Amino acid sequence: MLRRLIKHVLPDFTDYLSPGGWIICSLAVASSIAVLAWPIPQRDGLEFWLFSKQLAVLYEVKVDQWNQDKGSDIYMSLFSNESLQQRMLAAFLSDTPAADVIEIERNFVPQAFTGPIEDVGFVDLTDRLKEEGIYDQLNTPSFAPWTSRGRIFGLPHDVHPVMLAYRADIFEEAGIDLTQVETWDEFAKAVRPLVGDRNGDGIEDYVISMWTGGGFRDQLEALLLQAGGALFDEQDRMQINTEVNARVLATLASWMVGPNRIAVDAPEFDPQANQMRLDGRVIAALMPDWLGGVWEKDLPALSGKIKVMPLPAWEPGGRRTTVWGGSMLGIPKTTKDFDAAWSFATHLYLSEELAEGLYRENYIISPVKAFWDSPFYDEPVEFFGGQPVGRLYIEVAPDVPLRTSSPFNTYAKDRVVNALYRLKEYAVDNKIYDPDELMDQARIELQAEEDRVTRQVERNVFLRSEP
Amino acid sequence: MNSGYPRWAPYVLVAPFVLVFGVFMAYPMLYSAVMAMQQTYGPKASQFIFLDNFKNLASDPSFWTAVRNTFVFAAGSVLIQLPLSLGLAMLLNQPQVRGRMFFRLVFFSPALVGTVFIAMMFGLMFNKQGLVNFTLHGLFSSFDPEFPWLDQFVMGSLIIAALWQYIGFNMIYFLAALQNVSRDLSEAAMVDGAGPIARFRNVTIPAIRPVASFVVLLSLIGSFQLFELAWVLLNNSSGPNEQGLTVVMYLYQNGFISFDLGYASAIGWVLALMLMVFAIIQHKISTAGEN
Repeated sequence: MLRRLIKHVLPDFTDYLSPGGWIICSLAVASSIAVLAWPIPQRDGLEFWLFSKQLAVLYEVKVDQWNQDKGSDIYMSLFSNESLQQRMLAAFLSDTPAADVIEIERNFVPQAFTGPIEDVGFVDLTDRLKEEGIYDQLNTPSFAPWTSRGRIFGLPHDVHPVMLAYRADIFEEAGIDLTQVETWDEFAKAVRPLVGDRNGDGIEDYVISMWTGGGFRDQLEALLLQAGGALFDEQDRMQINTEVNARVLATLASWMVGPNRIAVDAPEFDPQANQMRLDGRVIAALMPDWLGGVWEKDLPALSGKIKVMPLPAWEPGGRRTTVWGGSMLGIPKTTKDFDAAWSFATHLYLSEELAEGLYRENYIISPVKAFWDSPFYDEPVEFFGGQPVGRLYIEVAPDVPLRTSSPFNTYAKDRVVNALYRLKEYAVDNKIYDPDELMDQARIELQAEEDRVTRQVERNVFLRSEP
Repeated sequence: MNSGYPRWAPYVLVAPFVLVFGVFMAYPMLYSAVMAMQQTYGPKASQFIFLDNFKNLASDPSFWTAVRNTFVFAAGSVLIQLPLSLGLAMLLNQPQVRGRMFFRLVFFSPALVGTVFIAMMFGLMFNKQGLVNFTLHGLFSSFDPEFPWLDQFVMGSLIIAALWQYIGFNMIYFLAALQNVSRDLSEAAMVDGAGPIARFRNVTIPAIRPVASFVVLLSLIGSFQLFELAWVLLNNSSGPNEQGLTVVMYLYQNGFISFDLGYASAIGWVLALMLMVFAIIQHKISTAGEN
């Protein structure tokens, strides 16, 4: 019937395709036309991409306030870190519009700085920051991760100083006063009595969470920076195989294996590791300010049992803090309205109201130095045994070390974690657990990784051609 | 001879295929060959560097680590997985086994589960506090209750996970092949005094050889394309000291994390060449066996 009908209407065409074929073709053509003709909704306001749900909740008030005051609209879109990075880089690399304002975490930015400086997708904010006096208002080291080849591409969100968190209840019960500890060597000796099967389950319990998984790269960098080492210097020149870095690696390896082991594999954001924290199987950790808020929400049972203190130094009189994590607000070059985006960025990040919210919700210290005298930082916090953690973090904040923004930093961090892994294996295979005796091998492993990073850097023709 | 069709009709008929093939296969392949001779920062910035990407690959230790790991995984797949699949197929091909259909379904069912889900599941099981250590420590008290599977036994863990996923899938191929083995021939061999091993060697193997060759090739290609299982199992990384780095993972890292699509293209071409060589070798071996 259908065939006869079609044959009547289109007598020649049915010779080439069956009626079913024609129906499929017709549907394909019709749907293509529908897709092309479908209007794409255009938003008038500014698009704001971010990665943290907690921060999105916090920003809502400021965004609503902005929308009311300015009569314009800011639309917030929440992504995972990886999705945000992929979307952002896809837009930068193809010159297609991204959001108007992007908040992004430190580990996901360096790729944006890999190519020629003029191809960085963010607007260069250096001159504006200096002209408007914002550069002097903020904690200077906070700009470092967003600076590439001397140019600043983001407004910093935080300082993220690091302290040592410990289970005060367990240490007090054991009669160990950690506050008297000044160096990591003293720490390792002081906590030794706590290594062993503390809860009688037949499994050895250790003290501090440090291991060689991928998640350790940020902690390792934090410890290297604290020691005065790093993977790149302030001019982004590589410095992987140094005495300071070798010393840190040798010491960490001696904490992970052998008779003086104190470290255990308990990464952050891991449910099983959190159970170990609750069970008292890991009782100390590096604690950047942002992690306090995470622990408070994920581990409420530890409320009142945790205390923080300045990190033990690597040498007597040495630095008692370091830095871990960080975010920035950047404005893509493809923004619809740079002035509005910039005005919103400063409205958000330079607000005392937001600084207080950041602290109260997440214990994050604002990079705006003028706010550091605010009384809310002095309030006792129940989760931290009544300590005024805000004040404690602010006391160490000026000592936060400078960081690199090298596009190869994340790669280099991963490589150095590999070096630590091999050093740990070497220690086990050769039964060498003394840090001094591990130094030679630490240098060999670091040199091997420095060679690899050098290969990667030298392969990049874009950076090579930069002045 | 006039067929009654216009002269342009064949061109119109093949046009859809040619168009799709050209746009989605031929052009990308040609473009990737061009890109393999460039260094890129995404599609926007690129510089022609001729064969430097291939020269760099030749002396890139990470690439060779990836090749070694991929070979280990492929060997594990072919030498462990396929014999087990064949064994299972032979077992479930026996008429006297009760509930054969049920067991076939049970063994095949992991193939219906998504690779990402399998990787996450095995990630939890191989965790230090996971089910594997819990069970082994329960059975053998001397077994380390926190054995670091994903720290020191990465390739082994990957092979075990892939074994669980694909053993039943390959079993189905072998089962289909075994059902085509001539019963008359087998019975004739038995009458001639051939034992089970002799019958397996002289009757079963020649009969299933074409399917076995196909399964070996399929497993090899699949093994060389290993990515999601390792990437998710190792928490979006190549594992400690690159123990889980595979060729495709290295391609992904370069192309979509470092955005050097040129280097990634070069890796892709080397992988394609390796697969081609394997396919030729495998074809030669299987045809030599037939002869």
